[in-house]
Amino acid sequence: MKQVSSIEDLIDFRKLIMTQDEEQIPCLVLCAGTGGQASGSNDIMRIIKRHIIEHNLHDKIALRVTGCLGFCEMDPFIIVEPGNQVYPKLEMEDVPLIIDAAVRGKVIEEKLYKEPESIVNYRSQEEIPFFKNQTRTILGKNQMVDPIRIYNYIMGDGYAAFEKVISNPDPEWIINEIKEAELRGRGGAGFPTGVKWEIARKAGNNSTQKYLVCNADEGDPGAYMDRSLLEGNPHLIIEGMLIAGIAIGATKSFIYVRSEYPLALKHTLIAIRQARFLGLLGENILGTGIDFDIEIVRGAGAFVCGEETALIKSIEGKMAHPKQRPPYPVNQGIWGQPTCINNVETLANVPVIISKGAKEYKKVGIPGSRGTKIFSLVGKIKNTGLVEVPFGTTIREIVYKIGGGPYGDARLKAVQTGGPSGGCIPEKMFDLPIDYESLNKAGSIMGSGGMIVMDEHTCMVDIARYFTAFLQEESCGKCSICREGTQRVTEILTNITQGRGKIEDLNLLEELGQVMKDASMCGLGQTAANPLLATLRYFKEEYIEHIEKKKCRAVVCKEIISSPCQFSCPIDTEVPVYIALIAHKRYEEALQIIKKDNPFASVLARVCHHPCESRCKAGEGGDPIAIRDLKRFVTDYGIQHRLCLTTDPPEKPNGIKVAIVGSGPAGLTCGFYLSKKGYEVTVFEKEKVIGGMLAMGIPEYRLPRDILEYDLDYIRSAGMEIKANAALGTDYTIDSLFDQGYKALFLATGSHKSLNLGLKDEHVEGVLPGMKALSSLNLGEKIDLGTKVGIIGGGNTAVDAARRILRAEASESVAMVDTARSVLRTTTPESVTIFYRRTLDEIPAYEEEVEGAAEEGITIEFLTAPKRIIAENGKLKACEFLRMKLGEVDESGRRRPVPIEGSEFTVELDTLIVSISESPDISFLQDTGLEFSKWDTVIIDPETCLTKRPGIFAGGDLVTGPNTVVDAVASGKIAAESIDMYLTGKEVKREYKITRPSKYVEPVEFSEDEMDELLTSGRTKMPVLSPEKRKYNLIEVSQGLPEKMAIQEAKRCLRCELETEEGKLFLEKLQENNALKEVQK
Amino acid sequence: MNIKIDGIRVDVPEDFTILEAARFLGLDIPTLCYHEGLSAWGGCRLCVVEIGEGDRKKMVTSCTYPVEEGLVVHTSSEKVVKSRKMILELLIAQCPTSKTLQDLASKMGLSQVRFTPKWEDCIYCGLCIRICNEQMMGKAIGFVSRGDKLKIDTPFDKESDDCRRCGGCIYICPACTMRCPGPDHDIVLCNGCYNNLQPTCTSNEDNYNCWMGLKYECGTCVRDEESQIKK
Repeated sequence: MKQVSSIEDLIDFRKLIMTQDEEQIPCLVLCAGTGGQASGSNDIMRIIKRHIIEHNLHDKIALRVTGCLGFCEMDPFIIVEPGNQVYPKLEMEDVPLIIDAAVRGKVIEEKLYKEPESIVNYRSQEEIPFFKNQTRTILGKNQMVDPIRIYNYIMGDGYAAFEKVISNPDPEWIINEIKEAELRGRGGAGFPTGVKWEIARKAGNNSTQKYLVCNADEGDPGAYMDRSLLEGNPHLIIEGMLIAGIAIGATKSFIYVRSEYPLALKHTLIAIRQARFLGLLGENILGTGIDFDIEIVRGAGAFVCGEETALIKSIEGKMAHPKQRPPYPVNQGIWGQPTCINNVETLANVPVIISKGAKEYKKVGIPGSRGTKIFSLVGKIKNTGLVEVPFGTTIREIVYKIGGGPYGDARLKAVQTGGPSGGCIPEKMFDLPIDYESLNKAGSIMGSGGMIVMDEHTCMVDIARYFTAFLQEESCGKCSICREGTQRVTEILTNITQGRGKIEDLNLLEELGQVMKDASMCGLGQTAANPLLATLRYFKEEYIEHIEKKKCRAVVCKEIISSPCQFSCPIDTEVPVYIALIAHKRYEEALQIIKKDNPFASVLARVCHHPCESRCKAGEGGDPIAIRDLKRFVTDYGIQHRLCLTTDPPEKPNGIKVAIVGSGPAGLTCGFYLSKKGYEVTVFEKEKVIGGMLAMGIPEYRLPRDILEYDLDYIRSAGMEIKANAALGTDYTIDSLFDQGYKALFLATGSHKSLNLGLKDEHVEGVLPGMKALSSLNLGEKIDLGTKVGIIGGGNTAVDAARRILRAEASESVAMVDTARSVLRTTTPESVTIFYRRTLDEIPAYEEEVEGAAEEGITIEFLTAPKRIIAENGKLKACEFLRMKLGEVDESGRRRPVPIEGSEFTVELDTLIVSISESPDISFLQDTGLEFSKWDTVIIDPETCLTKRPGIFAGGDLVTGPNTVVDAVASGKIAAESIDMYLTGKEVKREYKITRPSKYVEPVEFSEDEMDELLTSGRTKMPVLSPEKRKYNLIEVSQGLPEKMAIQEAKRCLRCELETEEGKLFLEKLQENNALKEVQK
Repeated sequence: MNIKIDGIRVDVPEDFTILEAARFLGLDIPTLCYHEGLSAWGGCRLCVVEIGEGDRKKMVTSCTYPVEEGLVVHTSSEKVVKSRKMILELLIAQCPTSKTLQDLASKMGLSQVRFTPKWEDCIYCGLCIRICNEQMMGKAIGFVSRGDKLKIDTPFDKESDDCRRCGGCIYICPACTMRCPGPDHDIVLCNGCYNNLQPTCTSNEDNYNCWMGLKYECGTCVRDEESQIKK
């Protein structure tokens, strides 16, 4: 290998390499940083090499193995130069095809990079949003360089800055350039590098031994920028260190690398040797009389060694305890000598500044924070990896434009910057431009550049606990406040996440956090409270929920949740218990467990929207358990064998009268529980049918009439009186009820007044309001339907967007589909078409309903909204629709449909059912002292169901707007508790209990074969009536699970409730008992 | 060096620390890990003071911070007092039976400890290490590990040949000597337990035996003889 011994030698040598005739052959660029290797790029490399050798392609194609390129989500990937095609996530079989295509200058279209959920592929790297939106000044160099070949580095104009400096070594000029460029330390504190160098240079005198240290400790979990720089382009760092050494007058330097970076260590060692051999390091470099050499020091696994005074101690071989400054390391550092410590990325910027010039460099970034910064963007987004952006870029741009936004449906919640010492920035502040000061003001820090994206399935209390626990382990222990503080914070946060928190803890945590910030000696302690304080600042509600309501809204904290199914059930049904009992064939016990919390068990077993299934752990990476179908199996068994068909009326009725208005699920549930407590309950119902929406809104093919009657009988047997045909406002008033001796009222009149579309001619013949149409169909009343039926539903752009809670749209979409299918069964239309304004993926109706509709021959036009009603002689003739496309994300987290100009089309219809937005009818509640929202719902205290007027409670859809059945039942339960407290003179306050099953059931024993079967079998499918058999009748479509299928499905349950401390204790006792039984045998 | 402490201007020698300057003036800054004959450690954080003005204020330990020309120091600002109280609360929760800590608490007016006591023997002030290294030249003990695993021990937990059993470490330890033996004992205590104090987090544990028979009601709780404190 070449050696140079003078400056002229170096200049000539560099010129020679850079002007070499380059063969114009394509080049494969393979990312083989640590991330790439972990994804299998070593195998890819071997295949490439073998293929080239076997097919004699040495002159036709080149291979460049590089370090980390930052596109880590797509590892292992190849970029083919010169076209820069990107082939991501390679399988080994793909490789020979790609090589052959590249040799011929061709492209394999299907294998090119495309954004997830898209079909458009990108033809070159420059087009890909991930790369396009970055400014890859430093990281981009990794792509050009094979890190262990110094010639590669020089070929890309490497060591140009060094050449410039060594030709005319002028420390003052160097320092001035760095000062003018306003380079700030990239390690986290952001101290102006130029100033630090200036002080270091002035320290001591010409003969003082000075040291330069490159801090590559990078302890933040999840941050790997420095690793990628050292692995991918070590010569860039060496060049930066050379220039720094000349500037400050240091002759010896250290690179302090953490031991957990073997590849970085290896590449840096090789690079140092190569540089030394070439003649760029050592004594009397190129004859200038300047000495400079680099030694590598390996860390030993302590996060605190990233702190400069601790790092110095570590290099000296002592225990890494930070020391108070002054004296600063630049004056007294390693072994008492002036020491300048710089971060890897800071040093990487130095050659760029010297080559480009400070003025050019300053053009990127914003005043006060110049240049670019590399961030490790990780977490719940599509494109995780390393990104380099100029300062001043907003968080939103990084997360959405570069990171690609969230994968899946979950909404983003916050971004943690600065690793465990940083704080979180909530989603509402994502427009914050990133620089040192703005992050500090927001309660976080820049840190070394970690950026962790979190979504609604991340529990912020758990995050604070996790990071503080990390810092507690890494605290050096010298300062009492940091050592004890982190321990106590971890202790208290652990208690909160396990349901043992107290509300006084929050004040204590704030106080403690503040003192930790003020009184700690080093950066670790001073920032140790950041995760806690930041989450307290922005997400205090989560803390309060954990403590007071025993709820973890992200469904993460296991001791609070027990099993996610029971936790998410609005009525707290003990799901894992009854499923386990089914697996043990103890059906009657299962039925008792179900009915304990659920008076509408048979109904809900058919129509519930099963929030439990959406949270089921088996559903993460598999199929959720068919919980609702299993519940139906048990309730059907109960009906068949005449079990639990009635309940006992109370032993001691107390004679206190309570009136309930509305016999829907909310009203009847409230009445049921109050009757059981001994109250004399009377339910008033306006219609002649009992059951509210259950009878009027849900079609018989989903909920047979006799099934509803079984539950109504069960509820009636608690002893309440139900008066039908009694309407509030006409047959009695609120005041008259109080006069008659009712001590409390519960209003649950629901929400089923159809709103208007807001279109002209909306009231012509043929246009029917949705809820009226549906209930008429369900009650068997006569209704005039034509032959070309159109149904509009599932929400309306004309309505106030903020009110659209997803649940309202869900129930309205269900109503829309129900209406369509009911029409099909009761009349003989030519065509039934649903016009829905969003896409299939977003339709919140239950999947099986939409599937059923399609099977039965109903057409669904997606992304379509009504524009104009065309009437003739007062009768509907046709309707004009507009096509929509998906635009920006709205408050519900979904992309809002926006109209496509000029896309109108007309459909001939003689019947149009407008199945959108119902609001409560409050005409009979005027002047009764109640308060209403702008959507006509009654305002209550959500904790207690109390309205503004004492003695009057309200719940169900009347309060929430259109909602689901189980939420109404839950509302009735809460109201019953509140009314009981009110009537017994207690303070009306909701009590929260931690979610736990009332009993534990032993796990099921499996044979090997059974276990194998369970691992491969998916979720059982509910047998359904075939589409032909469904025509023109109302026979129930779902048939119910046969026993064998139910047991098999029940055995799939993961029994999450056994994973709490309590559950584990039960298992231990079980084992002990079993062991005892064995012994006794 | 001209500096200003609590509004008082004073001229002190160059090599003074803030603590020495304050003591020279007669200002009382509490300390725990500081000892005149030993090097300053700055670990207990009790002697923190606020220096600087306006936005650039920060808290530093006075025992290690050398005086600078024009330095402005506040030894008892609200932040400082709050911090000292919290630090002491944490230390007492670590080692409730230390008379030194209880005395400091009384002086500072600390009346409740809101953390679960850990009943440890050691507050990691490092005085024992420094007296062994610097005064007795034994160099037999040192800090081991970090974080919640931190302890003071001989290398590899082995019996030491360098330790001469001089007892310097026991003599200087503020935690393990002179434990509070209870209010009825001959040795005078801080008398904290005679004040009307709020219950401490002893309500979480029930193996205490208050000698006054007022279980959970006094601020200083003592373990009963049966449950020994582990090393």
